Amino acid sequence: MQTATSNTTTPASPSWFEKNYFLIRRLHSLTGIVPIGVFLVAHLITNSSLLWGRAGIRPGDGEGLSLTEGGITYFQKEVTWINTQVPHLLLIEITLWVAIAFHSILGIAFALTGKTNTSRYAYQSNWRYALQRFSGYVGIAFIFYHVATLRWGWTFLVPGGTQWSHHYAVSTLTMALRGGEQWTPAGIAVSLFYFLGITLLIFHFANGLWTAAITWGLTISTSAQRNWGYACLAIGSGLMLAGWSALGVAVLVDPAKARAIEQSMLKAAPQAPLQTQVPDTDK
Amino acid sequence: MITSLTTNAANQPAKPAATPGRTITLRIKRCDGPGKPSTWQDFHVRPLKNANIISCLQQVALNPVTTDGQRVAPVVWDSGCLEEVCGSCTMVINGKVRQSCSCLLDDYAPNEGDVVTLEPMTKFPVVRDLWVDRSRVFHALKRVKAWVPIDGTYNLGAGPKETPANQETRYVLSTCMSCGCCLEACPQFNMEEQPKDWDQAFIGAHAISQARLFNLHPTGAQLERERLEVLGGVGGINDCGNAQNCVKVCPKKIPLTESIAAIGRAVTIHKVKQFFGR
Repeated sequence: MQTATSNTTTPASPSWFEKNYFLIRRLHSLTGIVPIGVFLVAHLITNSSLLWGRAGIRPGDGEGLSLTEGGITYFQKEVTWINTQVPHLLLIEITLWVAIAFHSILGIAFALTGKTNTSRYAYQSNWRYALQRFSGYVGIAFIFYHVATLRWGWTFLVPGGTQWSHHYAVSTLTMALRGGEQWTPAGIAVSLFYFLGITLLIFHFANGLWTAAITWGLTISTSAQRNWGYACLAIGSGLMLAGWSALGVAVLVDPAKARAIEQSMLKAAPQAPLQTQVPDTDK
Repeated sequence: MITSLTTNAANQPAKPAATPGRTITLRIKRCDGPGKPSTWQDFHVRPLKNANIISCLQQVALNPVTTDGQRVAPVVWDSGCLEEVCGSCTMVINGKVRQSCSCLLDDYAPNEGDVVTLEPMTKFPVVRDLWVDRSRVFHALKRVKAWVPIDGTYNLGAGPKETPANQETRYVLSTCMSCGCCLEACPQFNMEEQPKDWDQAFIGAHAISQARLFNLHPTGAQLERERLEVLGGVGGINDCGNAQNCVKVCPKKIPLTESIAAIGRAVTIHKVKQFFGR
């Protein structure tokens, strides 16, 4: 018989969720770093090669290329490599999706147990608590839009209807962001959403690294927490620069110029188009 | 206007003296009982020298007439030690949680016409006016077995020696008075009216810190695994969102966020050991 008095309650037998609560919470924390965080870092570094790619081209291969041309060339090479050479790409994508879904669903459930109170307690750490949850919500929407439009080809969500192609990585990206060859109001909105999404997700990752160190018990003393906070600030700032520079080049580059470089690369490396069909984006 | 939020003037530059014979307004959130609606009432008070909020409330009790001239029931509040060691007079003053006994009006409301708002804590059920039921705070201490087990059927003799270094770590933790400031300011700790829901909701910084205090005690450590088991579960250490408001509002300056991280580490190690069968 289960009896309950006002002071002591006889608990019902714990649910599966309750029994595995610790494991679930720590997996939530861990998935934010591996694989999601690791992927985020790799993704942002690859994308930022739009800015620094000219410096990454081997001497002799990039004679006469400008900074922008070099960036487009290098980035296109990276994208081609990922889409044609990386083994088990589908498995990697599924792993990421499972991890992101797990982290998102639990993240929302956990976030709903709190009530932000920054109006009364306007401490910096309390603002970060609130922003961590807000950035999670916006981040989920952004990741979904980003992948649905550029990876799954849901072109009905892209202003101008551009389909991203890994053979025309920069030109189709630019058009998807701008809303076509030229800027459109919807394209400006998409680009601003990208800026917001990238910024919030990088904050979410860097601040998550800081809180994870407390959760797991790595940083105990106040000074250890402060020092690790500076390290996370540095990591976050570096990733912000990478993300913003990638987005900056992606929206500002001339799609026609990028397309010309991409077409010459396709001609120079004919083995790539044999493996996958080249979409007809010439006009 | 409020010129200072601190009562500890020792390290502060000399402040202009409070205006003698000034009249201030206490804006008090009134509630006749559990589940009853709340209303605001204003009272004029002339704080005596060195007055605190409690002595102003005593003045209101002597003559409970609002600024509208309405005679109302005296304001109810809870208090005990009047020296910031019992925690019972904790309330929300001008939007921030603190003890009302150590809120000195010479500092806090030194000028004619200053307004001080008083509200009951929002995370605990109101009994009446400024008096709340903090049973959940003490229930949490029972959950983490915040004591040293010394009961037995025979004399257990002297306990193990404690090192001075350990004493030093533990001393500040032992100054916790379970006032509830850390809970009131915590975005993860929210009102649970029903005791049956207490064990599912976040336990709060004070109980986590007290678990650390008694885990660090040479004899208290006997219950460490039981404490970590509770704190590893639902409503335990994992429910902390690291907003770190607790440590900022703690009147005893207890390093609550260090306690949270230390218990986080202890629970991590405990669970890894458990996973591998100890």
